[in-house]
Amino acid sequence: MPLLCMRNIDKAFFGKPANLQVCLEVQHNEIHALLGENGAGKTTLMNMLYGIYQRDAGEILYDGQNVAFSSPKDAIAHRIGMVHQHFTLVPTLTVSQNITLGLKSPGHPFPRRRDLNQQIQEISQRYSLEVDPTALVSTLSVGEQQRVEIIKLLYRDARLLILDEPTAVLTPQESESLFVVLRRLREEGHSVIIITHRIPEVMSITDTVTILRDGRNVATVKTSETSEQELARFMIGRALEPIGRSAAPPSCAGTALQLSEVTLVEHGRSKLGPVSLCVDPGKILGIAGVDGNGQKELAEVILGIRRHSAGSILLGDAVLDALGVMERKNLGIGYISDDRHHDSLVLDMDLMDNLLLKTHTEKRFITHGLLDRKKIRQDTARAVDAYHIKTSALECPIRYLSGGNQQKLILAREMAGQPRCIIAFQPTRGLDIGASEFVHQELLRLRDAGCAILMLSADLEEVLDLSDHIAVIHKGEIMDVLVNQDIDLTYIGLLMAGKRGDERGAVV
Amino acid sequence: MDVPLIATLTTFLAATIRMATPLTLAGLGETISEKSGVINIGVEAIMLSGAFFSFLTVFATGNHFLGLLAGMAGGAAVSMVHAVVSLRCKANQTIVGLALNFLILGLTSFLFLKSFGQTTILPSIAVIKPIQIPILSRIPILGQALFHQDIFVYLAIALVIGLSVFFYKTEWGVSLHAVGEHPRAADTAGLQVDTIRYLACLANGLLGGMGGAYLVLVKLGFFMENLTAGKGYIALVTVILGRRNPWGVMGAALVVGAAEALQIRLQTMGIPIPSQVFSMFPYVVTIVVLLFSIGKSSDPSALGVPYERDKR
Amino acid sequence: MNRFRDALGFLAIAAILLLISVLLILAVGSDVTKAFSSFLRGIFGSFYGFSEVLVRATPLILAGLGVAVGFRTGFVNIGAEGQIYLGAIAITVLGLAAPGLPPVLMVGLAILLGFVFGGIWSVVPGILKARFGISEVINTIMLNYIALNLVGVLVRTWLKDPSYPYPMSPMLPAAASYPELLSPTRLHAGFLVALAAAVAVYVLVFRTPTGFEMRAVGLNSRACHCAGIPVYKNIVLSAFISGGLAGIAGVGEIAGLHHRLIEGISPGYGYIAIIVSLLGQNHPLGVVVAALGVSALHVGSLSMQRAAGVPTSIASIIMGTLVVLILARKSLFGSTVKLVREN
Repeated sequence: MPLLCMRNIDKAFFGKPANLQVCLEVQHNEIHALLGENGAGKTTLMNMLYGIYQRDAGEILYDGQNVAFSSPKDAIAHRIGMVHQHFTLVPTLTVSQNITLGLKSPGHPFPRRRDLNQQIQEISQRYSLEVDPTALVSTLSVGEQQRVEIIKLLYRDARLLILDEPTAVLTPQESESLFVVLRRLREEGHSVIIITHRIPEVMSITDTVTILRDGRNVATVKTSETSEQELARFMIGRALEPIGRSAAPPSCAGTALQLSEVTLVEHGRSKLGPVSLCVDPGKILGIAGVDGNGQKELAEVILGIRRHSAGSILLGDAVLDALGVMERKNLGIGYISDDRHHDSLVLDMDLMDNLLLKTHTEKRFITHGLLDRKKIRQDTARAVDAYHIKTSALECPIRYLSGGNQQKLILAREMAGQPRCIIAFQPTRGLDIGASEFVHQELLRLRDAGCAILMLSADLEEVLDLSDHIAVIHKGEIMDVLVNQDIDLTYIGLLMAGKRGDERGAVV
Repeated sequence: MDVPLIATLTTFLAATIRMATPLTLAGLGETISEKSGVINIGVEAIMLSGAFFSFLTVFATGNHFLGLLAGMAGGAAVSMVHAVVSLRCKANQTIVGLALNFLILGLTSFLFLKSFGQTTILPSIAVIKPIQIPILSRIPILGQALFHQDIFVYLAIALVIGLSVFFYKTEWGVSLHAVGEHPRAADTAGLQVDTIRYLACLANGLLGGMGGAYLVLVKLGFFMENLTAGKGYIALVTVILGRRNPWGVMGAALVVGAAEALQIRLQTMGIPIPSQVFSMFPYVVTIVVLLFSIGKSSDPSALGVPYERDKR
Repeated sequence: MNRFRDALGFLAIAAILLLISVLLILAVGSDVTKAFSSFLRGIFGSFYGFSEVLVRATPLILAGLGVAVGFRTGFVNIGAEGQIYLGAIAITVLGLAAPGLPPVLMVGLAILLGFVFGGIWSVVPGILKARFGISEVINTIMLNYIALNLVGVLVRTWLKDPSYPYPMSPMLPAAASYPELLSPTRLHAGFLVALAAAVAVYVLVFRTPTGFEMRAVGLNSRACHCAGIPVYKNIVLSAFISGGLAGIAGVGEIAGLHHRLIEGISPGYGYIAIIVSLLGQNHPLGVVVAALGVSALHVGSLSMQRAAGVPTSIASIIMGTLVVLILARKSLFGSTVKLVREN
């Protein structure tokens, strides 16, 4: 009898189906991958199991029992635990308080904190998940927070652990040690579901794979009986098209974007170590690194969204240091941020207004001091055409467009007017493969037209596929810059973990 | 020290404490609510409702204890309306609070007129007498001020101590903090976010209602239209000045109470400064204190934000 | 489908309000038909009654527009009440300091000064919010009480009329008055000022680049910052305009009605303005309509009190309930509508 059996699960959001007749079976002592690209409905399915969403139809058998969890509380009571992609820890509480949150500890309501910390230490040692129970969560690194999340589940005696994209925030080496922990969990009698879109990771760690596409089951296979190619075909419905990156065009004269010794200090803490970089016209410089290592700071400092503390930024011959965001953009910098909904779009405004966000002060849209709706409309219609944006109307609030179409609108805005430089920060985050390919093509098109592109991505494959040069960032510092040719992946992994070349022998 | 000065000081202190007590009670209630992530600027309505229903009950039954219960129930009713509209209907909490201030002001005036008609002499009730605590009340200056007070004063102090323990020493306090700070984390840890918030709102209503009842049962002995006259907003001030710490709230209430007591004192002494100068005092202090707290925000992260589990 | 649902929701709200009114009227032992007919007669029954609706709507339109402009950038201005008083102080100070000004100049300057005074009263919390992230809700409320007490101090000290024992300022010169529109009613040119302000606010918010920036900032300030739109400038500007419009409302109450500074010139107009703005969905036209409606409610309830003995506090009850119901309507009536549709 399987540990978990989800049958014919349906779930729709606002009339749009997210899961359609989905089935999933997880055995005891098994690491099971839920594989699918962004938006395939993996997380939705797991949130229903965990009681966060309520299913519209279908049944869940857990341990042979028909169950319906109305809240995570019920799921926890049935020894199910979930680590979300965005961690759910209270930053102002300690590790120990977070782990025991919502539980009745001995002595309730007056917890014996020392005993609890002792128990946490024991779990932490048993599974080699090192943490300090008395530390405030806000002081922890992302990797440490993930360990706290896992201990939180184990402390609650979870038998089935669900991990949503657990390696997204880890270096290759950290991922390896996470896998060691997962194998150890399997030995101890736990079952694990990992939600992922990374095929290599599925191959290396899991026993069984269930693949979802567009909210439906595609297949369930034994990992040992499949191949990366087959999984890719299951996941996107066709073979992956290789990205056609032509050989770097002959270097144009001069540098487009140059950073010299740029630093950023906020609240007395150094966020960006002296960074020196230059991007040539017609080249893509990819910045690899684990999420949260200063990528956002770097991108925003170049745009002027944050003001750098020292050093100097040049675009061609122009010194950007004293300029505001608008002035920098007018000089020819485009920005694709990692967080469409917060940084790039006003979700409740329509396509015209969102396209206007950069150009609303331009003379061509203003007559007698008032905005000229007719011209704005024409301009938007052109962009919608050129970038194949699918929408019911130009007056449609951008909230109702798919992520891919939202991103296309951002490209249309930021790539307008032949920019000299594009800062592309996680340009394909959360997009499905089709939309990602479109974004990649557009970036390459601009590169071939002589635009300098700085691309920051936590997805190492994306960096390897697109970049002419690769820099690795760790804790706000550039570890090394390499030419993208016969790259040694282990070396990059070490750099991502903050270990420089000279320490290489010692670590390996 | 000469005797008149001591007497003056004692009366001043005693008056300060009496002024501070309803603010402390209502402020503590609002503190609980805000810690859970619900901001209710309708404290005014809660207190007014508490005052009205406690008066009505005592007037009808002569029983002060029943009056207190009725006041607390009246406050709780208002607070729960706010809670339902804010939490279930996800409405803007500030606006709901504001609307309730209107609604309750109108409703209490209406019901008061209906019950007692247009009268020139306000109907009144007996007020609760202070309790003399033996020995302690004989300490010079402080004794009479601290230990010859009504039951509510002692209750307020007990509540401050109790809530400090509750917030900072118990698992319930940690849960409350988590719900206000990161409701999704609280939810995934198995806490019932909305239930906890409803309970916090209930506590707010009960305590605010008690604060309103105090005005009628201890201080005035009568009810009139808009009896609270802005005390609910001052209670909000004590929450901010006290940084949502029970002792801080009480401290802030005492400072405001002292300003009020001083104003009355100066007026009776015939000092030719308009009383409005002193009435302004707590409001000015609040803004100044807010200025000094720049960059040290202690607001719960999810204050005023309804939790939607289904939100994608 | 949405429109159907909205209509049904509003119908339900109207029905509930009607029911509550009937219950309240019955509770005080009045005759329901008599009460309602006197309510309507108060509003439409006489020229004077209808002009009173416009008179009371004037400050509500101006302050309501102010609140709406603030809301557009996310500046929750609970301080219109205090800003109204600041406008009143402004015209009083001007009228007493320069009594010889010709009428046009006097009124023009008064409006300008009132705008600036009210604007300053609101720009302080605006700056605190935009620069330091301090909640404007508490600050604006505090400033209301400070303004109220400030007027109390002024009419007892520096601006006191020495010839009367009451706390009030001397009469202002005739030049500091709005022209009367329909004597003998109290209707004055302030109503036209309010309508002009509504048009100006519409153009500003919906047609100019600045208005575009304000709306964008209110909806997503972070994205605006990333796009290079100065968030700080826009919040502060909208706060200033917001308070300024309320200040003009205060000017109008003195120039059109009282002609001298007294305490209590505003029976809570500033707070009602928030409700007006909410009911008008922060749109200038909506604000005008909502202000007229709320004002009619008050005028009608006054007449209802005279004729049928129903306390005027019924107006506050209805207004408060209306706001609560409107805020609650989506989830309250959503499920009912679903049931209706399924059957």
